Amino acid sequence: MTAAPARILETQALTARYGHVQALSAADIHVCAGELVAVLGPNGAGKSTLLRAILGLASTTGTASFHGEPLPRQDPVAVSSRGVVLVPEGRGIFGPMTVSENLQLGAYRLRGDKAEYGRRLARVLALFPRLGERLSQTAGSMSGGEQQMLAIGRALMSDPKILLLDEPSLGLAPRVIAEIMEKLALLRDEGLPILLVEQKAPAALKLAQRAYVLVLGRIVACLDPRDLSSHDDLAKYYFH
Amino acid sequence: MTLPNTTSTERAGLLLRAWPLQLLPWAVSAAIVGYAFIVGGYVATVIAFALVYVVFVTGLNLFMGFANQVSFGQNAFAGLGGYASAILTTTYNWPVLPAMIAGIVLAVVIALIIGYPTLRLKGHYLAMATLAIGLITYEIAVEWQSMTQGYLGISGIPPLGIGSYEIISDRGQLAILSIVALLAVFIAARIKSSRMGRAFLALGASENAALALGINVSRTKLIAFLTAAAFAALAGALFVHVVGYVSPEVFGLHMVILGFTMLYVGGIGSIAGPLIGALLISLLPEVLRGFKDYQDLFYGTALILLLIYAPRGLAAFFERRERTGSAS
Amino acid sequence: MQGRHYAAFAAAGFAAVLTASAANAQETYKIGISAGLTGYAATVDRAWRDGVELAAAAINAKGGVNGRKLEVIVEDNRSEPQEAVTVYRKMLTSDKVNIFISGCVSAGNFAAAGLVVRAQVPMVLCSILPQQPDQVKWAFSTLPPAGFEITKRYEYLKNKTNIRKVGVLHDPTPYANLQKGVAEKAAAEYGIEVVGVEQYKQDDADLSVQIAKMQAAGAGAILKIGLGGTTLTAAKNIKQLGSNLLLLTSLEDIAVFKPVADVLGDKFFFVASPSQVFDALPDGALKTEIGRFLKPWHAKFTDRDPNWASRGWDGVMLTVAAIEKAKSFDGPAVRDALEQLTGFQGTTGVYNMSATVHQGLTVNPFFIATIANGKPKVVE
Ligand SMILES: Nc1ncnc2c1ncn2[C@@H]1O[C@H](COP(=O)(O)OP(=O)(O)O)[C@@H](O)[C@H]1O
Ligand SMILES: [Mg+2]
Repeated sequence: MTAAPARILETQALTARYGHVQALSAADIHVCAGELVAVLGPNGAGKSTLLRAILGLASTTGTASFHGEPLPRQDPVAVSSRGVVLVPEGRGIFGPMTVSENLQLGAYRLRGDKAEYGRRLARVLALFPRLGERLSQTAGSMSGGEQQMLAIGRALMSDPKILLLDEPSLGLAPRVIAEIMEKLALLRDEGLPILLVEQKAPAALKLAQRAYVLVLGRIVACLDPRDLSSHDDLAKYYFH
Repeated sequence: MTLPNTTSTERAGLLLRAWPLQLLPWAVSAAIVGYAFIVGGYVATVIAFALVYVVFVTGLNLFMGFANQVSFGQNAFAGLGGYASAILTTTYNWPVLPAMIAGIVLAVVIALIIGYPTLRLKGHYLAMATLAIGLITYEIAVEWQSMTQGYLGISGIPPLGIGSYEIISDRGQLAILSIVALLAVFIAARIKSSRMGRAFLALGASENAALALGINVSRTKLIAFLTAAAFAALAGALFVHVVGYVSPEVFGLHMVILGFTMLYVGGIGSIAGPLIGALLISLLPEVLRGFKDYQDLFYGTALILLLIYAPRGLAAFFERRERTGSAS
Repeated sequence: MQGRHYAAFAAAGFAAVLTASAANAQETYKIGISAGLTGYAATVDRAWRDGVELAAAAINAKGGVNGRKLEVIVEDNRSEPQEAVTVYRKMLTSDKVNIFISGCVSAGNFAAAGLVVRAQVPMVLCSILPQQPDQVKWAFSTLPPAGFEITKRYEYLKNKTNIRKVGVLHDPTPYANLQKGVAEKAAAEYGIEVVGVEQYKQDDADLSVQIAKMQAAGAGAILKIGLGGTTLTAAKNIKQLGSNLLLLTSLEDIAVFKPVADVLGDKFFFVASPSQVFDALPDGALKTEIGRFLKPWHAKFTDRDPNWASRGWDGVMLTVAAIEKAKSFDGPAVRDALEQLTGFQGTTGVYNMSATVHQGLTVNPFFIATIANGKPKVVE
């Protein structure tokens, strides 16, 4: 804990608005190498907006930088090509398409490189063997947990340098949430930095190196999860 | 006896059960076209028009079914393709094939000019804009009389053919139109399973999710629009050469309504949908013609029943059963 | 031996019955109508169909023509060219019609003309003739030449008024465009100058811009060319402009004109066909022929406008005359005979067909009329 680790992703005074509604006010957060960072907050706090702002899906002021360089604004295609990849809220999987087609779309930028495609697919299927059993099944016909795995797997197919996840545990049974969190920990340990947005704190807090608390569009606290004895400690921020 | 053996027979059984269902729309279509080919007469005329519509609706399906956009203006591109080919062959004595190609190129160029700004519009703004394109093209066909002869229309358009060989007979026309329609459906199937096709489907499912995957949504939308325009222009050009005449009403709003009906009844988003939809919707009024004054009533009732009992269209009905069958 | 004889005899008898019944079935002469029973042409084409059916019934009541009854087959083309091709084809190949006496959807008639000509079936049309020479050969029209409605109005202006400057207001239909062309060309002949030509669309809700322009150019009268509600719109606009312009409109269903006359009073004139002003006609061949038509027409449809139906009637009567002349039901023979009909008295005037003239009304049959006390009245 001597030299400060390198900051991979950092936002400075990042502000986002929808028309006249300011949904995110001057947020400063960062994610360092090897970290899984959580952003916690109640419904409507601006968590999704924060991720959308980083990706360029919302109109913003302030900066989001990646490896010290500012990310292009309002150009999600350019941002994702830098390796900043979002697993969107509600998973955003393509229901009528097969699992395999969904994964191919994850590697959209890869074009014809079959060998690299094979390597990435092998990695994803090793992480989520259940997807391998369901490759030719339509994505929409799978369970919620499997769909979430597919969403993460699809993001991994683009070989991300950092993964942004928007409430992956939404609507899932505790057992399935635990399984997914376990996989995220595995990815983090393999060296993939993760920014994880959640409403329900416990699962995320177990993994996170650091947790920001976002309420009404503002970062109101930055906590070390080890300092939190229970979920109730968060409530005082939420019901401010 | 052994375990692998059992599974392989099971698999074969599954295939046997799955195949006929999936092939049914194709078999029915082949039977309808074959019947028209044998019987000839006015059934051949009806099916010839239906095959032209297969091309038109297949294009519409790329834009609306795959990319999940709305266009009420595809008749504009059919009109461009049709008129360009009609004018080039009659006024300027071009051969049919180059004239048709020129018509398609023209339609795609116009689609590019129009699509670039309008595809940034969302939801019903895009729909309104495309509706306007259709109406404007109609007006131009009416007003630019020195070129289009207005409502009088252009007659004496040469039939389809290659070189000095002209295809006039019913069977010849049916054969060439069947080939073109099948080719259109085949191209749509290839597009669907290509990288670009997956991008169409992705943006159709969720623009944001597609963006997050690095898909250039506005460019992909534009490509879908241009492809649909090319199909529409081909259909328009085929139409004028089959009939030998064109006037503004040929590519009026009724073409849009008919196209939509065929797309939804056949099955939006599916490959066989436009084929089966165009054939059935073309045949339906003829089957009901005997009812005279009640023809429209029965036609309407049949449409409503179809949309109630096969809400995702006839073809999708078969595909879905096959797919969920292998799930769970 | 005997058995075989019997069998041969029975077979011959059976064959005789067969041919007899086939002859029986063939005994009608089939008239096909492709009409826009729905869609924009519905008013005109329903009237045309009713006229054709009335005439066929009248002929059949007299025992038919050359031993055959007439049978009328009607198909709705929805006022669309594509539908027209389908129904023409249906009537050609399924119903095997002998002749078409089709309605006013010109695009539909043009689109199907190639098919019909290939089948060597003649057409007597409500609409203008197709453009292709090989198609014109088989097509005949009961429509008065486009110029007649124009020259009648010029004649009136020249003889009865001091107005020498007019504006032409027309819709974009082919017939209106043809008339516009005549209006520009023929004006000088009547010492009249066309000071403005303006186009409108059938669904325009305001024509005051066009009218004001022509008034500013010095027009004393407006020749309106085109059907429908726009005539009333034009009248209202003229009144709103506080203008002294005369409005002279084209041939139209009389019912449309009553509200127009309420707005413009004695500044409103229209072109009328003979059947529309039957009471004012002098006795003669024309009045007799119209009388023959109007009697069953009034019996069936009371005071419905007879104009378009009367031309449908003419279509059948021309056909019957041609069959009688040709002594044949054969398509080419009937075509040739149609081409030779001269001095044929119809309800719309006298038809003089020839190899070069297939639109046979060659003498202007029209009148200029006004509405007085709710009834059409010829202005002298
Ligand atoms: N597209 C939008 N247009 C307008 N307001 C929005 C839009 N999306 C979100 N908001 C508003 O912004 C605020 C933050 O939303 P969001 O980021 O989705 O919250 P969270 O993800 O924390 O639930 C909410 O008040 C929400 O109503
Ligand atoms: Mg959210």
